[in-house]
This record gives sequence, structure tokens and C-alpha cells, in this order.
Amino acid sequence: MVDLGNAAPPDIIEFQGTTKRFPGVLALDRVDLAIHRGEVHVLAGQNGAGKSTLVKLLCGLYIADEGAILLEGKPYAPRSTVAAIRAGIRIVYQEFNLLPYLTVAENIFFERLPRRAGLVDFARLFRDAEAMLAQVGLEISPRARVETLGVAQMQLLEIAKALSTQSKVLILDEPTATLTPPEIQRLFGIIARLKARGVTVLYISHRLQELFEVGERITVLRNGRKVETLAARDASIPRLVRLMVGKELGEEYPFHPESGIGAEILRVEELQPRGKPHAVSFALHRGELLGAAGLVGSGRTELVRALFGADAKESGRIYRDGSEVSIRRPRDAVRHGICLLTEDRKAQGLILAMSCSANVTITDLRRVSHAGLLQDSAERSATRELVDDLDIKTPSVDQLVANLSGGNQQKVVVAKWLFRRSEVLIFDEPTRGIDVGARFEIYQLLWRLAAAGKGILIVSSDLPELMGICHRILVFSNGKITGDLPRSGFSQERILSAAYQEYVHGRPQADSTAGTGHA
Amino acid sequence: MRVKQILYLLLREAGIGLALILMVIAFSAAAPRFASMANVTNILTQISINTVISVGMTFVILLGGIDLSVGSVLALATIVGGMIITNENLSPGTAILLSVLGSALTGCLCGVFNGVVCERWKIHSFIVTLGMLNIARGAALQISNSRTISEFPDAFNDVGAATIFGVPVIFLIALAVVLAGRFILARTVFGRMIYAIGNNEEAVRLSGHDPSVYKVVAFIVCGGMVGVAAIIYMMRLNIASPILGVGFELNAIAAVVIGGTSMSGGKGSMIGTLLGASIMGVLNNGLLLLGMGDFARQMVTGLIIVVAVIIDKYRAQAFLRSSYELAPAPPREEPHLRDTGPGPRV
Amino acid sequence: MNTKCRASCAALPILALLAVGGGGSSARAEEKKPVVGLVMKSLANEFFKSMEEGARKFAAEDGTFTLVPVGMNSETDIDTQISAMENFITQKVDLICVAPADSVGLVAPVKKAIKAGITVVNFDVKLDDKALAKAGLKDLVFVGPDNREGAYLAGNELAKKLGKGGKVFIIEGNPGADNAKMRKAGFEKAAKEGGLKVLVSRTAHWETEEANTLVTNLLTSHPDVQGIMAANDSMALGVVKALDAAGKSGKVQVVGFDNIPAIQKLVKDGKVLATIDQFGPEMAANCIKTGFRMKKGEHLKGWLKTPVKLITATDLM
Repeated sequence: MVDLGNAAPPDIIEFQGTTKRFPGVLALDRVDLAIHRGEVHVLAGQNGAGKSTLVKLLCGLYIADEGAILLEGKPYAPRSTVAAIRAGIRIVYQEFNLLPYLTVAENIFFERLPRRAGLVDFARLFRDAEAMLAQVGLEISPRARVETLGVAQMQLLEIAKALSTQSKVLILDEPTATLTPPEIQRLFGIIARLKARGVTVLYISHRLQELFEVGERITVLRNGRKVETLAARDASIPRLVRLMVGKELGEEYPFHPESGIGAEILRVEELQPRGKPHAVSFALHRGELLGAAGLVGSGRTELVRALFGADAKESGRIYRDGSEVSIRRPRDAVRHGICLLTEDRKAQGLILAMSCSANVTITDLRRVSHAGLLQDSAERSATRELVDDLDIKTPSVDQLVANLSGGNQQKVVVAKWLFRRSEVLIFDEPTRGIDVGARFEIYQLLWRLAAAGKGILIVSSDLPELMGICHRILVFSNGKITGDLPRSGFSQERILSAAYQEYVHGRPQADSTAGTGHA
Repeated sequence: MRVKQILYLLLREAGIGLALILMVIAFSAAAPRFASMANVTNILTQISINTVISVGMTFVILLGGIDLSVGSVLALATIVGGMIITNENLSPGTAILLSVLGSALTGCLCGVFNGVVCERWKIHSFIVTLGMLNIARGAALQISNSRTISEFPDAFNDVGAATIFGVPVIFLIALAVVLAGRFILARTVFGRMIYAIGNNEEAVRLSGHDPSVYKVVAFIVCGGMVGVAAIIYMMRLNIASPILGVGFELNAIAAVVIGGTSMSGGKGSMIGTLLGASIMGVLNNGLLLLGMGDFARQMVTGLIIVVAVIIDKYRAQAFLRSSYELAPAPPREEPHLRDTGPGPRV
Repeated sequence: MNTKCRASCAALPILALLAVGGGGSSARAEEKKPVVGLVMKSLANEFFKSMEEGARKFAAEDGTFTLVPVGMNSETDIDTQISAMENFITQKVDLICVAPADSVGLVAPVKKAIKAGITVVNFDVKLDDKALAKAGLKDLVFVGPDNREGAYLAGNELAKKLGKGGKVFIIEGNPGADNAKMRKAGFEKAAKEGGLKVLVSRTAHWETEEANTLVTNLLTSHPDVQGIMAANDSMALGVVKALDAAGKSGKVQVVGFDNIPAIQKLVKDGKVLATIDQFGPEMAANCIKTGFRMKKGEHLKGWLKTPVKLITATDLM
């Protein structure tokens, strides 16, 4: 493939003493790093280690303060994302850059829509789009509007969009955060094919197991510095973690012995979210950590949103501490001590441009106000108490939430619901986009909450996570509950087979005609 | 912490205030009699109406909405107030009192309509208030039979002309409105919710609140402010007319935006709005005193509006940088810049 | 397929409108009374409102014809006038009286109406002579006051009061409006003849508040002003308030135009020296009468001037 005798250098990208500063923060500190042509190179490190900054330099979003970047031996300093794409570097972002009201096909080919006689050639557009979708194994119509897609589908669509141009370097930033195991396997297949075509892949992920499966070489960054580049075959999870955090983690998942499971705190009967074909029932107890496993799109998020009143429901009854409650709006749920910590913290959980204290106290402003007037000191001290209690790392309670790291932002969301004295906490993907060290703290926190007698429901696509921390796991499949496993019955095989149960006789997403059976 | 807050406020407000000061210095040097006390009194009189309307508009724009109906509602409120105040069956004192109440109530009712229609049917305020713009204008013409009403009680007119140490009483009213608005935004639960909803309405809803309630109230406040502006108008000019106030909505929006409030909501301040209205008043007055012609004046005013907003944008960025430097250094293992990059977002 | 469906959906209401329009005109035909289309300027302006009311009153008293008045949304809304003209042509009315918002823009629809056999009489604001000549309508009948003459009368009164060398402002109406231009020209003529010195001439767009702000500011730069000519009474109201505030009320002479009720007390009190009455309520009625005279075969052409009258305190006693 690459002839070393040729003029082309073996390294497609080379960072030479690259430094990037932000006011008060040294984001990259004299990084030297060579990326070989045609390899899958993994960047590992905690949030804030410098991975994103490194990638943004390549994409033309930042300019390095010191040092050089070479692309195929020539100095490279793109001034815009367009320049980067022209140079053959393409990124799939962790946040989506899709146009929600356009079709899937238009999104894929947005930068160069096929034309005929000055008009968009829709026939060809849809045909080409279909081919791209097949490549990433996304079974949706190219005519569908992006706003109708689920998060996982959007992620695959982003990848398809990136593949639509011939790039030399493809950067994947947390591509699997929202994908299920089979989708991840399909993604790895795509990466292998790209590699075979000579494309260099730069891969970023918090899921450590993946790094070994997909990568050839792994570079670990910490605090803006390169710690080490090592061959994937020489690495192990403990070694990586040690390199990333600079110390060993005691254990990845803390499971505390089943001690305080108490009375039923929440019971859901025949709850059917609007527009969904099936109803489900389950119960949650004080002190219990209840997991909700399933494929992406299996209806877990829809269920918890309907339960919380965020979306409408067809039917169903909800009991809090044994008595029926009516929940039609989030306001009703909050009043009954139920809260939802959404998957998308930035868009739905937090007000990024406001301070920690404003974010925490918004759930119950009556507690920090008198006759409609805010009591500044009460607000601060209440927030400070929670900040200390949850060990939220922030310079002050006035700090804007936007300036906190992902893990600390998640803790602020928890803090705001603790401020409201919520009894039932429903987490949707509590550790998505949160780095290894901070995850551990979140797990500890979940445990503390359970020990304090709260009922906790956790929706997560990270199966090892659920198995590591939950007392019990409900398995969702195509809108139904197909498994209800106690901790003693946890196994990857059992959970996965239950998760696939409703999809076996047809294509995924297809309506099952089977009965209402739920566990 | 107090000191830091004051510093923050100064930095945030100073930019546009600086522009105003520069403008005043330039006009003082170039335009004869600009810097006289009498002229300052004139300018303060002239910005009062726009300031009061802009305070109301600030509430609505902070929520990401817009109120295009203020000019027409102003006319309607003057007509209602004017008809009451000229009613010969009432004693002057009662007439004035009822007139003030009538104007304010008219404004509030129009605000109720705007807010409730926007929220009940989830229609963008641009469209609803565009409708109100016509409804209020039509109503004003209908009930007045398109006649100008004049001859108000002397006591009423005297307030419009009165000054205290050169400061017009109507400006003092406007200033009180601004300070009340600032207090509401900064210190009350309602103000907190306005900012929160303007920044992220969905997060507020999912925090267990009903954003609609606050939005409706904001429109009512805006309407009420227009009612107050209508009273000031009548005091100042001794007329009520169904055709006045055309284009006032644009002046108010300009003042709010020059004052640094974001059209997408969530960011802005009342002091900024006062400064924005002042800039427009100073500009109008100063350019005229320079002897500039009508058309050139219009062009320059338009240009300044755009330039002021551009400057504000740069200032906001500069402030963002300085705020990092002001804040204590973040913990070493958590550099807080992960997602503050200018990456394209949907 | 989808597009076709949408297109036909969009066509439905249009068809419905056509049907209603057709029904309306046939209903009118049954009455057999001649129909007069009255194309007015903005009825929000009380001068035109009173004119329209005068026409309605005349129609009610006369009883031999049906009056269809159409107003505009604002002073500059030419489109509404053109559409109204087109509708009248389609409905084949017998007579159209038009007060154009734009002296050039309305010439084409007037020509179209005349071609369709409808009698057209121009009133209030004269259509542009050059444009009329080009369209072959040199002799189109115009019933209206001489705005220039009116402004001249007011300006003259001011000049007499101030004497030679008096310093004055001119507060103009909307730049571009024909009557604003005529009035400005009349003021200027009077100033020239009377030896007045025009310090500044600026627009306040016919608006009270704007005139108030403008004059307040102008008084700062020109404290020596002795007289102010306002192109309408709404602006004169604002001017008087500005003088009140500056303590110059009664010292600086003001003239206005239109003789609206709100100005009359100020004239009586001496705060306004004079205003001009154009007898608006009679003007549209005069125009309709002229139209019927023409339809009866009377041969009229050119400008039939309606009276303008200087109103001073003595007229209002």
C-alpha cells in the first residue's frame, strides 16, 4: 500500500511540540505525536485531557499557539472547517451537526447535492443516499426527516455523511456513545473497510474495551500532555486506566451489599406512551437501583418521559407510595417527588449560561425566596451545601455551568433534584460522555442515594454498567418488558437474548404482532 | 463576592455606556449648544417614551419573543386615556386617575391577548403581535372615529412639562420604570425564570415549571409598560391620537438590541436598554444640531444601530475571555473548556 | 402528486373568492342605481375621514347612486389603491373618484378605467401632469384645492406678522408626498415674497411626537427663530407643545394646515397664528357631483379648484 521508498512520508499527521492555551488553562502542552498512514489510532484520556483540543486543531476550529502540525510532511494549519475538509480531514462530532428539518439524503450530501440542469437531482440524491445508508447499516428511508430519527440513528447518519466524501483522515469522536453492541460491531466493520481503502482513522472513546478491538496504536493524554503511545496488543485496561488517571482505580463498579431495600415507592401499571403500541408495568422500591436495559429504540426513553409527564401518554396508572397520582406534566411529577435526569443534559437538564446556584435552585425557588424576592444568601448557602456534599468541582457557586466538565455537570443535575427533595430519581444514560474517573464518582453517588432510601431507575445502554451497579434489571425489547432479572440472575447472554426477543421474527423497529406479554 | 459582582456588572454594562460617553463627547465638541443643560433636558424628555416601551420589550425579548404591537397599543391606550380624561362628567382629579388606570389597563389587556394566544396555540409572538398591531390600530381608529383628542386638564399637562433641577419629571418616571424592571429581573423569582426560560425553555419545563405562565405575564408587563408610555405621551404632547406611534416598535427593538439584549433571549439587562434608548435619543438630537439633513440623518442612525450591535458582539467576546481570567483557576484535572469551542452546532 | 394536491388546495379559496366577488357585483347590478367608486387615502387621517363622511352624507341625502368608498391602511399604501381601482374596473362601476396616494403610480390604472368606459375624476391631489400627458389624459378633470396656494396664504399671514427679515422653520410632511411638496413650495414662495429667512426645513413625517422632538431640538441650535410653518395641524400641535416647554409659547408664531378640531382652541388662544381650511367634507361630494355632470354630457376639463380659506382667531370667534 504505502511505499516507503516513495516521497510520501510514512506519517500522515505529525504534531511537533504542539501547544494550545486558553485563558487560565494549558489545553495542550508540547505534544509530539505521529500518526501513521492507514492506521486506526486511538486517543484515550479523561475529559479535559486534551483529546478534543487536538482534534479541533486538525479540523480548523483552533489554531495552535506553538509548535507545528505536518500533514503528509507539509505544514498544516487550517483556518476553517472547510479548509480541513478540502485537505482531506473529516470529523464525526460527538454533538450532531445535522439539519433537523431536511431529509436524511439531503443531510448526507448537503455540501454537494447532485444537480441536473441547475436543479437538485432528487432521484440520484435518494439513490446515492440509500447506498451510503446501506454502508453504515442504517435501515431508514433517505426521505425521512432527520428530526424524526432517534439519537443512535443520527449518530450513524453522521458517519454516513462523513463517509460520503473521500477523506484521507476520518476522526470519530465518541461514535459509540449512543450505539448498541450490534451497531458498534457494524461500525467496526466499516472502520476495517475504510482502513483497507487506506483511510487513516483517529478514534476517541471512553469505552475502554472498544479501544483494543478497534485500534492498532493507542495514545494516552493527560492534562494536556502526551503520556505514552503504545501498541494496542501491549495494552490492558488496568494499564490504560493507570496511564489515564495516573493512579489505579480500586474497582470499576462499586456494588454495595443489598441491605436497605424497603417498601414500594413507585408502581407503574399498563403505562403506554403516546404513539407506542405497548403498555408496561413495573415497580420500584426504596433503596433499590433498578436498571432498564435494551437496544437503542426499545422504548425505554419514551417510557420514562411519559412517566415523568414530559411527553403525553395513551393510558396507564402511576402509584407513589401506594396511592395513585395523576401526572400530566413534569410539574405534576415533580410535585409527587419524581424527577427525570435526561440523557441530553445540555439541552434539557441544565441552563448552561447560568450559574450553578441558579441551576440547582430552579427546582424549588420557593425555598430560597420570600414573597417572590430571591434570598441571595439562602440560595448560595443551599447550593454550597450540595456542592460540597456531592463534591462538585467548581471554583464557586456562581460559576457558569457551561464551564464545568461533563461529570460535574451531571452532578449539578443531581444536586438540583436533591434540592427539590425528590424521592424517585430516574436517570437516562447517567454516564454518557462522562470520563472514567468521574463515572466512578457518579456510581458512588447513586449508591449513596439508594442507601438514603430513594428509589432509582437507571436507563443505560452500557450493559456492564447496569450489571455492575443495579439490584435488578428490566429488559426492554421493542416497547415491552421482556425480562426482569434479579442480581443473582445477571448475565450478558440472558439480558441480550431478552433484549432481542421481540425483534427475532422481523426486522428491528418493526411492530411486533405478539401479545402484550410483559414480565 | 460583592466586589466581583460589581466588577462584572461594570464590564457588562460599560461597553455600551462607553459608546454613549464617546458619542456625547463627540457631539459636545462638534455641535454648538449640545452640551447645554436645556438640551440635556430636551434629550431626557425625548427618550422617556421609548425607554418605557423598551423596558417592556426587554422582558419579551429576553424570553426569545418579540412584541410588534407596542406602537399601535400605545395609540389605543392614549385614545382610551384621552376619552376618559376629557369626559366632562368627571372632576379633573378623578378623570386623571381613571385615565391613568384606563391606559395601563388597556395595555395590559392587549398583553393578555398577545400572551395567551401565543401560549395557548403555540404561535410565534411575531405573528400574534403582528395581528395585535392591526387589531389595536383598528380599535383606536374605530373608537376615536379617527379624531385627535386634545385639551387635557392643566394639572395633567403640568406634570408633562415639569422639571426638577433640569430633569424632566417624565424622565424620572421612565427611570423609575427602568430601575423597577432591573429589580424584577435581578432579584425576583419572576426575573430568574425569565432568564432561565430565555436560555432553555425545555430545561425549565422539565424542572417542573410551566413556562407559559411566565411568558404570558411578560407580555402583560410589556403591555402595561406601553400603557405607562401612553400616559407619558399624553402628558408631554397634550393629545391622544389613533395614528400616533407608527414605527415605535422598531425604535424599542433597536434600543433593546443596542443595549446588548440577545434577540434569541436569555441575555440582556435593563440598564443596557436604558443606555440603548439614550444612544438613539442622543444620536437623533446631536445629528440634528450638527445641521445634518433628514435623509443623511436616517442613514447614519441606521448605520449606528448596526455598528453598535457589532461592537457589542466583540465586547461580549472580550468579556468572556476576561471572565476566565477573573475566575479562580479551575482544578488541575478538570480543565473546563471541553465544549466552549466555536464548533458549528445545529 | 403531492404538489398537485397542494396546488389544487390553494386554488380552492381563490375560486371561492371569485365566486363571492361575482355574486357581489351581480347583486349590485340588480339595484340599477349607478355605482360610484370612491378611492380614498388613509381613513386613519382625520382629514380624509371627514372627507369620506362628507361623501357618505351626500350619498345618503342624494339617494340616486350607490357609494363604495375604499380607504388605505397608511398614507403610502399605493397597492391598496391600485387594487381598488382594478376591482372597480372589473365590477364596471359607473364613476370612479380617486384621491391618489402617488401622483404618478395611479395614472396607469386611471387610464385602464377610462379605456373600460368608466368616467374618472381626480380629486384632492392632482395626478402628475407629465405622466398624464404621456398617457394621453392631459385633460383629466381634477377637483381639488391648491395646496401651494393654501400654504402660501398661511405663510403670507406669518410674513405679515413678522415683517421682513423674520426667521422661520419649515416643518415638512412626508418627503415624497405630493401635498407635502406643494405645501413646502407654498411656504417657500411666501417666505421669499415676504422677505422671511428660512433657517431650516426638515420633515417630521406628519407626526405630532416627531414634530415635537424635532422643534425642541431645532430650538436649541436656532434659539432666534420667530416663526414656524408646519405642513399640517398634527405637527403644529407638537410644535406648540415644544414652544410651551421652551417658554416661547406666543412669542414664536406658528401656522398650520387642515383646520382640525384640536387646533382650533390653540388658534383662539393665539398659540397658533393661522391654519388653512380646505373644506375636506365637501371635496369628495364636489368630485362626485362633477362626475355626474360629466356623465350628463357636460364638457369639463382640467383643474376645477375648490376653495382654500385662511383661518385665524377672528374666524373662530
